[in-house]
Amino acid sequence: MSAWLAEFLWRRRYVLSAMIVLVAIAFAPRANITHIDNDITAWFAKDDPVYRDYERFRDEFGGSRTLIIALKADSADRLFSPATLDFIRQVSGDIERVDTVERVASLATATTVEALNAATGDSGIDVHRLIEEGGGQTPADVRRRALKDDLIRGDLVSDDGAVTAVVVSFDEKRIDAVRGGVIQQIHGLVDPRLPPGVKAFYNGSLEISETYNRITLANQRTFTPPIFVITLLAVYLSFRSWRKMLLTIVAVGISVLWTLGLFSLMGYSYNVLSSMLVPLIVVLAIADDVHIMQHWDEKRRHLSPEAAFKATVAHLATPLFGASATTALGMASLATSSVVAVRSFGVGAAVGIMVDFMISLVFVPTILSLMKPEAGEAPHEKYLVRPMRRIAAFSTRRPRAVLAVSVALSLVALLGIRDLRVDTNHISFFSKDHPLGQSARVVDDELSGIYSFQILLEGPPDSLSTPDTLRRMDRLEGELRKLPNVKKVRSVADYVRRVNKELHDGDPAADIVPADASTVAQELFVFTLGGEGRHELERVVASDFSSAQIDVKLRAMDSNLVLALIERTDALSAATFAGTGIKATTTGSGRLFSTLDHYLVSSQISSFGTAFFTVFAVIFIIFRSVRFGFLTIAPNVLPVLAVLGVMGFLGISMNIATVMVASVALGVVDDDTIHFINRYRREVAAGASTDEAIEASTVHEGRASLTTAIINSLGFGVLMFSEYKPTAWFGGLLGLTMTVAFLAEVFILPATIKLLPGLFGAEALRRASSRPVPA
Amino acid sequence: MRLLLPVLLVLLGMQPRPGLTADQIARQVQDRDTGRDSRADLRMRLFDRRDRVRERALTLTTLRGREAPGAPPSAPDGDRLLIRFTFPNDIRGTSFLVWKHPKSEDERFLYLPSLGRVRRIAGSEAQESFVGSDFSYEDIGGRELEDFTYALLDENAAWTAPDGTARPAYRLESKRRDRAAEFPRVVSLVVKDSFVVVGADVFNRRDEKQKVYSVSRLQPVQGVWTVMASSMTNALDRTRTELAIEKIEYNTGLKEDAFTRRALEGPGR
Repeated sequence: MSAWLAEFLWRRRYVLSAMIVLVAIAFAPRANITHIDNDITAWFAKDDPVYRDYERFRDEFGGSRTLIIALKADSADRLFSPATLDFIRQVSGDIERVDTVERVASLATATTVEALNAATGDSGIDVHRLIEEGGGQTPADVRRRALKDDLIRGDLVSDDGAVTAVVVSFDEKRIDAVRGGVIQQIHGLVDPRLPPGVKAFYNGSLEISETYNRITLANQRTFTPPIFVITLLAVYLSFRSWRKMLLTIVAVGISVLWTLGLFSLMGYSYNVLSSMLVPLIVVLAIADDVHIMQHWDEKRRHLSPEAAFKATVAHLATPLFGASATTALGMASLATSSVVAVRSFGVGAAVGIMVDFMISLVFVPTILSLMKPEAGEAPHEKYLVRPMRRIAAFSTRRPRAVLAVSVALSLVALLGIRDLRVDTNHISFFSKDHPLGQSARVVDDELSGIYSFQILLEGPPDSLSTPDTLRRMDRLEGELRKLPNVKKVRSVADYVRRVNKELHDGDPAADIVPADASTVAQELFVFTLGGEGRHELERVVASDFSSAQIDVKLRAMDSNLVLALIERTDALSAATFAGTGIKATTTGSGRLFSTLDHYLVSSQISSFGTAFFTVFAVIFIIFRSVRFGFLTIAPNVLPVLAVLGVMGFLGISMNIATVMVASVALGVVDDDTIHFINRYRREVAAGASTDEAIEASTVHEGRASLTTAIINSLGFGVLMFSEYKPTAWFGGLLGLTMTVAFLAEVFILPATIKLLPGLFGAEALRRASSRPVPA
Repeated sequence: MRLLLPVLLVLLGMQPRPGLTADQIARQVQDRDTGRDSRADLRMRLFDRRDRVRERALTLTTLRGREAPGAPPSAPDGDRLLIRFTFPNDIRGTSFLVWKHPKSEDERFLYLPSLGRVRRIAGSEAQESFVGSDFSYEDIGGRELEDFTYALLDENAAWTAPDGTARPAYRLESKRRDRAAEFPRVVSLVVKDSFVVVGADVFNRRDEKQKVYSVSRLQPVQGVWTVMASSMTNALDRTRTELAIEKIEYNTGLKEDAFTRRALEGPGR
């Protein structure tokens, strides 16, 4: 089969290569990854129940994905000065004018309710904006009212009165398409006009998402040139050939263009996740190309270009296909993920990997056949062959020691894995000095926190305004306030309590939900008498009282903690409203993003697990050998254990960023194992002893793995200098994975073969097979 | 410019006067004879942004202040409004009293039957929502003439009545002197023959057309043209309020004592 394929490709090499290049050129305009699709539906399927809950909530109460601007003054006097209050009023008005802005919550838009001063001799109630247009009241009065109001203090203004928040909500059907520009516009409205002694800190789910995009694009701009240059140099230093260096770059570039072109042609859009397609394809393409070039060099010294072409293709077609297929199947398993972006990434990566396999197998040998054979030894031959022989000798002489060390290392890794957490804390991705880290501290410590979720309560019309329901809501709020990390809870029950208290001249004993339905109706009516109050109430309860929300604000934390909190909330809500006919659903941005993180990590882990079985299956199919399928387990498991262990020791969690390392690592580890086993079986079939076959495999395939590891580790190692931790982790963990994969290949595989001669030894294989070992 | 009750009442047969300035048109709208007092039963329908409707029924009694043309010296210093809700039942009896003062801040009082006491409400503004609807107190109770500057945008505009007949009208722009007001600009359509405001575009501080007022039924009652049905749509909030008069009487002989805090607590007269 391989011989037939080699013959076929040799005959059509120019046509196929020309087609490969022309299609790559045609795909070039589609390979624009400078525009990132921000739409939430790029992540969530529209029929996902979590997303549908959020849509229902958003249709009633508006979106909860906000931009939080914390304004921190050097003192409360500074914040509540005429200049700062005027600034808040002006920027609130100006931000309201920005397209797609739906609502601004700030001291300038807040409505307060309080009993009239009894000293005036008039019993009454005062419902109006905290800061009136035209500045009717003194800053001291504004400060007093803001700090007195439980609905404002801790949410819009800090307890010490030195920090205030401007919370911007958007038309979520339009904001994602224009998010970057809108957020920049708002920064432009606030930053240049900040009064002296006041600093602005930006956070909220939209700011976090936008920062991701900015950093992803900035990282691409910053790190692509050095990765490119270092990879080029590493290829050159490995082969000491300008031609091979250029060939590698062109071949990798073509694979990337094909992958991105097909990705776009399939109707997928680019996002933070799909931007990982490029490093994935680069790493795997370099691995393929290094194997091909190394093999070519060995053959071309003794053979004609045609014979070298056919020998290289015939030798590598099966292992390259096997290596690519295992990785591609692992990626393809992501097509069942709940996350749209993961699905598209999985399909795009699977297609890209197989396309890269075909390009590498056709284009690289074709161009190599046009080059003059290299006269001298390449550095990887000159400097690496001898160490490889020593490694092979060591592995074959001391297999027990090798496996003992491997087991010991695995146990140490397991200790680290005990500390490995599966969670995503977006804020911890940034350094403490990063603006997002700084703002998270301000909002979490001084205000009501940057995360939130909402409980959507739904029932028949008027069911959400009965005293019984309101009291249940009030009780649930009390339970929620006791939970860790919960900073603020608010619902329509608080408004009723507030109005009831102030209508009773501020009597603290009246700070309750009244028992009489008419009283509740009339007090709610009082709050809606002013337009602002009506709009504020519409944010927490539907006009026909068929639905309401309880807003729960949290400090920034790990997504698994958010999910645990949400599960606890679900249980409390269900117990609170049992038998009332009112349905409670937890939703909002906190639910959306923690679920998304959960989906991302779980689908990647599941893909990773699938891949282990796939490797076994593919090896079984291509080598028709169950025993070699089992042989792959140890060298595939150890690198993964080692990486997970190191992550555990370093406190790096399994999160949306690091699971991508696992995906890339998977492809590399598979490649190494399959190439080694293929070579070993071929050497045995050719009559080599076990030790000779191990030495040949280590020297040839191990060397290719080491070369690939050096090239990619040096190239992507540059990422470790990124200020964005996931990018730095990616660079560091990729190098670590490739190194451990190489070590597992050249130590564990030979040691296992040596220790189990009855299964894997040369004689056993020759005895077991009455026919020639397949190529 | 007034939109309801005294605002919406115009003498029959008033003929257009050629060559009026913007200020004169505004004065005509302000000074027309709209009766000394009135009592009306109204039905208010409030549509939220999902087009769900809530109905409220109320009675609105008014008494013009002494600044109104033809008002007796015994009339109060400013207009008086008493709003009493009759539907839905849980807010039945909830009442609202407004004392307008030409030279000072208006006074407002609230009576909640469940509490059984009158409460003064402070801090309200003329442009604030009228009892939680899309109308403002200004739309209902009228604007102070001197708070605005006026410009005549179109002397030859026309208003097409719901029955399809076209009536000549002025397009008048009113700009509030206080530019910090929530709605600093209004462009109104004033029917020439009666000085009734039959349509208005209300602009917010961003100069966006936020609210649109339109009349859907105009008919004479006791000899005065009365807007029997109108609506105010808030384009930005996507809400709408429809207001219909079910019954109205003018010049019923109401006295100021019908607009006291004690009267607020009592049943409607």
